[in-house]
Amino acid sequence: MPGLGTSFGRGGATTAQQDLANADCILIEGSSMAEAHPVGFRWVMKAKERGATIIHVDPRFSRTSALADIWIPIRAGSDIAFLGALVRHIIENELFFREYVVHYTNASCILRDDYGDPEDRADGYFSGWNEDARNYSMQSWQYKGEGLSFPERDLTLQDSQCVFQKLKRHFARYTPEMVEKVCGISPALFYKVADTLVKASGPDKTAAICYAVGWTQHSKGVQIIRTASILQLLLGNIGRPGGGILALRGHASIQGSTDIPTLYDILPGYLPMPRGGEEETLQQYLDAHTPKTGLWSNTPSYFISLLKAYYGKHATAENNFGYNWLPKLTADHSFFEYLYDMADGKMEGMFLIGQNSAVGAPNSRLQRKSMAKLKWFVIRDMVETEPARFWRDSAEIERGELKTEEIETEVFFFPAAGHAEKEGAFTNTQRLLQWREKAVDPPGDCRSDAWFIHQLALRLIGKARAARDPIDEPLRALDWWYPEDRFGEPKMEAVLAEINGWKTPVAAATDRGSIEGVLFGGVDREGNHHHEAQIDGYEELKNDGSTACGCWIYSGVFSRDGVNKANSRKSRDYLGHGWGFSWPSDRRIIYNRASARPGGEPWSERKKLVWWDSGNWTGIDVPDFKKDKPPDYEPQNQERGLDGQRGDAPFILHEDGLGWLYVPKGLQDGPMPTHYEPLESPVHNALYSRDTNPVVNWFTRAENRFAPPGDPRFPFVLTTYRLTEHHTGGGMSRFLSHLSELQPEMFVEVSPELDEPEWQNHPSSRGSVSFWRSGPVTRQCCQ
Amino acid sequence: MSRSWKVRRSPATSFPVVCRAVLLFLIGLSNRRPNLVCRRIYTPNSHLPAHRMAEDFRAVTARRAKCGETMIGEGTQSTNQRRHNYVQENVEVGFFTGPTVCIGCKACEVACKEWNEVPDDGFTWIGNSYDNTGRLGASTWRHVLFLEQDCQKGNQITGLMGLSDAQSEDPFRWIFLSDVCKHCEEAGCLEACPTGSIVRTEVGSVFVQNDVCNGCGYCVVSCPFGVIDRRPQPLPDAGGAFKCTFCYDRQKSGLVPACAKVCPTESIVFGRLDDLRARASQRVEQLKQSGYEDAQLYDPQETSVRGIHAFFLILGEPEAYGLPPKPQVPTIYLKSAWTSALLTSIAALIAVLGAFLFFG
Amino acid sequence: MTTEQRLEQLREQAWDKGIVAGRGVDVTGGPIPRRSGYYGQPVVKPPVWTWEIPIYFFIGGLAGMSAVIAFAGLVFHEIDLARTAMWLATIGAGLSPVLLTIDLGRPRLFLNMLRVFKYKSPMSVGAWIVFAFGACVIPGLIALELGTRYSFGGGTDQFLKIFAHLLVIGSAFWGVLLATYTGVLLGVTAIPAWFLHRVLLPIHFGSAGLGSATALLELLGHRVAPLSALGFLAAAIETALWIWLEIDKHGAADRALHRGLPGWLIRGSEFLSGPLALILRLTNLVPLAAIAFLLGAFISRFGWIEAGKVCGRDPEAVFASQG
Repeated sequence: MPGLGTSFGRGGATTAQQDLANADCILIEGSSMAEAHPVGFRWVMKAKERGATIIHVDPRFSRTSALADIWIPIRAGSDIAFLGALVRHIIENELFFREYVVHYTNASCILRDDYGDPEDRADGYFSGWNEDARNYSMQSWQYKGEGLSFPERDLTLQDSQCVFQKLKRHFARYTPEMVEKVCGISPALFYKVADTLVKASGPDKTAAICYAVGWTQHSKGVQIIRTASILQLLLGNIGRPGGGILALRGHASIQGSTDIPTLYDILPGYLPMPRGGEEETLQQYLDAHTPKTGLWSNTPSYFISLLKAYYGKHATAENNFGYNWLPKLTADHSFFEYLYDMADGKMEGMFLIGQNSAVGAPNSRLQRKSMAKLKWFVIRDMVETEPARFWRDSAEIERGELKTEEIETEVFFFPAAGHAEKEGAFTNTQRLLQWREKAVDPPGDCRSDAWFIHQLALRLIGKARAARDPIDEPLRALDWWYPEDRFGEPKMEAVLAEINGWKTPVAAATDRGSIEGVLFGGVDREGNHHHEAQIDGYEELKNDGSTACGCWIYSGVFSRDGVNKANSRKSRDYLGHGWGFSWPSDRRIIYNRASARPGGEPWSERKKLVWWDSGNWTGIDVPDFKKDKPPDYEPQNQERGLDGQRGDAPFILHEDGLGWLYVPKGLQDGPMPTHYEPLESPVHNALYSRDTNPVVNWFTRAENRFAPPGDPRFPFVLTTYRLTEHHTGGGMSRFLSHLSELQPEMFVEVSPELDEPEWQNHPSSRGSVSFWRSGPVTRQCCQ
Repeated sequence: MSRSWKVRRSPATSFPVVCRAVLLFLIGLSNRRPNLVCRRIYTPNSHLPAHRMAEDFRAVTARRAKCGETMIGEGTQSTNQRRHNYVQENVEVGFFTGPTVCIGCKACEVACKEWNEVPDDGFTWIGNSYDNTGRLGASTWRHVLFLEQDCQKGNQITGLMGLSDAQSEDPFRWIFLSDVCKHCEEAGCLEACPTGSIVRTEVGSVFVQNDVCNGCGYCVVSCPFGVIDRRPQPLPDAGGAFKCTFCYDRQKSGLVPACAKVCPTESIVFGRLDDLRARASQRVEQLKQSGYEDAQLYDPQETSVRGIHAFFLILGEPEAYGLPPKPQVPTIYLKSAWTSALLTSIAALIAVLGAFLFFG
Repeated sequence: MTTEQRLEQLREQAWDKGIVAGRGVDVTGGPIPRRSGYYGQPVVKPPVWTWEIPIYFFIGGLAGMSAVIAFAGLVFHEIDLARTAMWLATIGAGLSPVLLTIDLGRPRLFLNMLRVFKYKSPMSVGAWIVFAFGACVIPGLIALELGTRYSFGGGTDQFLKIFAHLLVIGSAFWGVLLATYTGVLLGVTAIPAWFLHRVLLPIHFGSAGLGSATALLELLGHRVAPLSALGFLAAAIETALWIWLEIDKHGAADRALHRGLPGWLIRGSEFLSGPLALILRLTNLVPLAAIAFLLGAFISRFGWIEAGKVCGRDPEAVFASQG
């Protein structure tokens, strides 16, 4: 998510899938959208029917390519070289959308004099490289002027230290000839794409870019997304109908799982997880994460409201709203780190919920072997998936690497309810919350995940209360108020109400149930006074503990009118307002201030979305801007918050309100994208002396080896992809006969040039896979 | 087996056979299209299996009607999402299926099987491109074709192919199309059915009444498109002939067929036959103008089949899609075959009598 | 250049230039064989009928034509012959519905065959023919047997005789249709090998039925001149039909009749019931001729059904028939 987050401010797709129908050109790269997102692809087809050009850039000729107007075969992992060359082409030939670029992006911002680009430096790194720590110090990447909020600018873009000139210099070597060498795309084809994209962008045209895990799962995925963002900013396609970048998420509610994260290093609403050492007190944390201007200047309100939602009445100003109860980050706990902890026996137990790491995760062999090191292992799934039976039925048991009688792991398998058997909300690819009602009761002992967590929490809190151990203080302080039904299932709308946020109780208990905007009687499980009326949006959040909010960006979904907007099903316009709730504040296309000229009128009649009209911003979409801020507004004395941003600054989450062609903060591996080879690329980097991303963490150990770039033993690239017929690890599809019969076997698609005998063995440095290959398979490119 | 549909018993077993036969004999002679009594009567009660309860369509339709039926985005542009009264108003309906927007997702296959409770019919890897279904049959009423062909699709650029003439060696295209029962104007299966199990409905579709069919298998060889088939053991409901019902049960309740409903790109369009035909010819023109020179309609109206209710837009020749170029309804052979049979009969009688007369 | 060398060259090229120009290598078994139509999938459905149907064709033809002979026997006072023929017809009339019912997907619902009458459906017409034939033959045989024994005496016997005559006439009428309609049944389908020979098939099934009825009666001891004449006639017609079939070829559309298992079955059967039976009759080896004819007529029905299956699976046959 940092790719979109650092470029535009929010880590979510900038547009809605329905809006793709308005595009004049759609570039799909790093995704087989027709196969993985068939329902969303309808809007791509609608656009095509209306005359848009669909371009698919992918190593493999897939179902998406079959429907595209142009299919560009690209060597896997060379996306930055390709997109970077497009950036160069647009800059060199003056094809960019000048007015948009000058006013809405940071092209005009002046960089510090000590900033150094890899093009200018002998070592090929950005300035600030620390060889020992293997990371960058970002000091030299800053703007000149008053921090990020009030940078110096040169609107002529001529200053040699301005972002635009640096960008031009940075991509100077990304020529079509280089593209041919690095990506295997001929210049003719490259120019075709470039022309199509440029022709489909401008005041009355827009082009959209769609990507999916084909980008995000690269070691440099963030920088690929960044390159696409630069391209879209240069073409002026962000915040406008038919434009934008659509991040196609891997499966249902993947967007939701970063908004209200399942990640170890962020808190709901993209608030950073407190770090141990430097952020030991609330004040330290708030100081570190509160910028002067922009929406994030309200971080204290968001964060303290979150703590109030966690700890309820236990969170007071006196105890810093329970900040000390929050765990602090002391180390990397990402996927591979905890896998190694598991393999080393440092991790005692694991809950595996909604995941199939024995099939879907990298190095599944190590995954399964590590599971055998656990003392206890809880799996919840709809069917007995591979992790639940790794101890008796797996490749390792078959090979004799593991023996059932020697595995000491105690495995608990809990049958789980399917998505139609429980209520709740999905947050889909376009930040849209859609409520799902329970259609049927789950069979037998199957229970929802919410039930499991709820019941587990109740029991843990009960134990903590009984034990009175000081270490359990956070558990005792937890505000676990959720009402439940007769089966012990928590009411999910109560959780949504808490996520939306409410006012915290001030007066003594009265009959809250009759007061407008108070949901669930305003009482907790014991019937005590618990909360007041719902809030209407994150603008109402306060930093004094008078509001509680589970996730500030979702605020407004279940507001004072008592309507669960995620469950609304009457769309009023083509963007689908009235169907579900799109965070933030039901804006379907975010940064939509950019759909109007700096002066406030639409760029063109054809592409109008939001405009300035008699003292207010109005339009088809909910304006993503301060409603009454005039387009010619200029901050006079460095005001704080939104007032510190200009009236023509659409990217309100950034301090300067601008779209970032150049990212002065937030990225570890450079403010501008550079082409590095993927970690195990069969070839060396043709552009830089360094083969792979320098800051990448090599999780190398004996069971998890990597082949270095250019290793002659592994000359082929094997990529995986999704089939429409199956879903993720297959737990939801391989066990359903009507889906399984459509693709009953694993198979591999090989270029006719590489076709080999019928049993295919594919060794890599970590293991080998055997497939049965039979019959004709689709031809794919071989570069 | 628990069933969601109350099935009325075949009257043939309860009426005196001969009386009934005489009655139906007369009907059979006089009226090609008997006013069909629907044999599947929907009962919104507890007999519903779990997964159907979710779509108790009366509740759904009532709710839809209240909030004004609109589809996300496009409003009422799509005929696939609209409620209708075609059955009540005796309007001829059809499917118009095209490959230019089909994305090969096979949702139609799955939705069809789910709604109609069609069993899975084998987990065999056929590997005809991405197609592991094979072809239409008793347990496959929708089938997505995956064609790999050595030519260009419209003006599509795939790699270097299509960019310029000099570089267009090794052309390639991949086409998807969802095949289905054609619901012929002159239906071979309907004409061949000796039990009257296959009937024509108010909307012009051809419908097999499962409880009447005794599985004689004559419709199987009479279908010029090879659609209908007898379901083999040990699948549920084995022995009877099955094919697409055009979701007659859904249509009676004003819903569109399941396959059209789920088709994400509206490659399968459901609607009034006359509308669809008009739309289809327009579409062909449009495609021809935008570079699809080999686009054509597959709707054999000039042969004895006299047109089909589920017609297709195809790129290239019908043979590649496994479609007969000039399908004929077998009844056109009746005259010559029966003439031969009757003459043979007369000749045989004369020959036998003659043999006894002259050699006796 | 070998495949391996070319692959090595490609690798070198990729390494040096980052792009591979020109064609790759052709692999063993490649290119993937192109099959006609949609991956060689059948266009029409082959028949689902199993062994019961050809046997029914054989028995039905034999029984039907037996009824005709019985009628002629009655007219020309060959009462013994008529009785035997009626017995054969009755046995056939009893077996036919049983075979047809076993072949049904849902035998329990066999009565639905008589639910409607559809003149456009040979299967429906056939079902009614089988029914009518049975309805004439069985009481006809009873009346004939009772009538020829004169056990009631007087008016009753007289009435039985007239009744038997009427029923035998009916049997002959339905019998001759029973023997020939099966040709129509196959001819009026979408299977090219069948419908292309829709004129030949009723003649073939009729003559085969007549010939086998004659042959069986001869084997049962009725060595009379009219039967012998009919035997000659049937064998001659079969010979002629064989020649016709060999001349009237439709290329790929009906190649199933001339190739492979069905081809050999049809050819062999036509040889047995055509030229061979004719020669054996000419050399006065009547029992052998009868056996050859019966065998030929029996195998021929299997041959035609098998040809339908092979042809139904062959997409090229359908395309060729419509080309």
